[in-house]
Amino acid sequence: MTPEEAAEWVSRESSRCMFCGFCEAACPTLPLGPHRAYGPRGRVYLAGLAARRGELGAEGAAGIYSCLLCAACVERCPARIDIPGLVRAARMLLAEGYARAPGMVPVRVL
Amino acid sequence: MASVRAVLEFLADSTLKTGLPVPVPMEEVYSWAIPLGLPRSGRVHLYTGALYQLMPYIERLGRYLESLEGSRSAAAILRLARALIAAPRFTRTLLSPEPQALERPRAILSRIARFLGAAGYYVAYPYEGDLYSGVLLYDMGLDDAFAEVASRVYRVLKEAGAEEIVTVDPHTTHVMRSVYPKYVDGYDLEVRNYLEVLAEAVDSGRVRLRPRVREVVIHDPCFYARYEGIIEEPRRILRAAGVEVREPRRSGRMTYCCGGPVESISPRLASKIAETRLSELREESKTVVVMCPICYANLSRANRLGLRIIDIAEAFDVEV
Repeated sequence: MTPEEAAEWVSRESSRCMFCGFCEAACPTLPLGPHRAYGPRGRVYLAGLAARRGELGAEGAAGIYSCLLCAACVERCPARIDIPGLVRAARMLLAEGYARAPGMVPVRVL
Repeated sequence: MASVRAVLEFLADSTLKTGLPVPVPMEEVYSWAIPLGLPRSGRVHLYTGALYQLMPYIERLGRYLESLEGSRSAAAILRLARALIAAPRFTRTLLSPEPQALERPRAILSRIARFLGAAGYYVAYPYEGDLYSGVLLYDMGLDDAFAEVASRVYRVLKEAGAEEIVTVDPHTTHVMRSVYPKYVDGYDLEVRNYLEVLAEAVDSGRVRLRPRVREVVIHDPCFYARYEGIIEEPRRILRAAGVEVREPRRSGRMTYCCGGPVESISPRLASKIAETRLSELREESKTVVVMCPICYANLSRANRLGLRIIDIAEAFDVEV
């Protein structure tokens, strides 16, 4: 998949999110992180931003890289959105330079 | 913290140049198989993807990089990667994993090969060709590097005559079965996991097992339970061996991650998640059975509760 194809898929898949937040209760990193980018709902939104705007903030990048890809969130998602797939694709967009992050703050743990 | 980009470049560089994410001499990967005399070519290959063998190194590397956290260390990490790729023997000196930590995975793999033999599943082994699958590169979105690694691994296995591979850990199983087909043209390897092979042999009565522990609490790895649907097989095997299997609050498809996958990005986050999981597991038994070398390493590292953590292959023996 080229970065352009990945971005198109990310844009489509992430737009299926209704922000219900059921996924958040299952996430191991969210209760330890400083904000919602450390949880699935935030990551879905950020992946969409990386695809549509081609840019992520430093805190957003930390959220994307702190994901375990454990897929616990998927079990709770009423729309069965491929959340780990979105996170992985966002990493790919960053690695390929399709999306830029001005840097990344250290992953923080509360 | 150590720059994420630098850590990723370390892993990608090493995998592309040496076939392994941490540069060590290849004997470290295949030495376990020499005493068993597994043949080099055959239709069915045991493919470990080196994850069990390398976990002691990956874990020490994580701690080493953690010790660099707080300093501006990206350039230092890259220099280190280049030096170790040029002289892989030095990795052992630098990271000095415990001899016991290196011995344990070898014993586990040797047990697995013997289980397969007892099940009438005689496997070949690719020795120098038992390269790392590149799964971490895939997880981190390094698709170009991953695609190159995947093509090489596939070519090496095909040259050894493999039509089917038997995998031994969840991450390698998932990547070989569900990801490689999307990245390697003409990919046609059949992928079976050893727990699937063994569960089938136990069910059909071809193999009889006996317990080495009385009771365990089972920790499902995310990639078996949620990605590959391997949930019942380990339970059937343990029960057939006479091991009492206790379920933690979150198990099967609803299992809770050990925290290990984020170890190379934030060791502290990984440890905190492991502590949460260990306290759940402790409610059911003092002996925890795991099925993944990453779970083993991460839970063991955070184990301040005095739990006994064992691999599923250490929980039973084959009756002869």
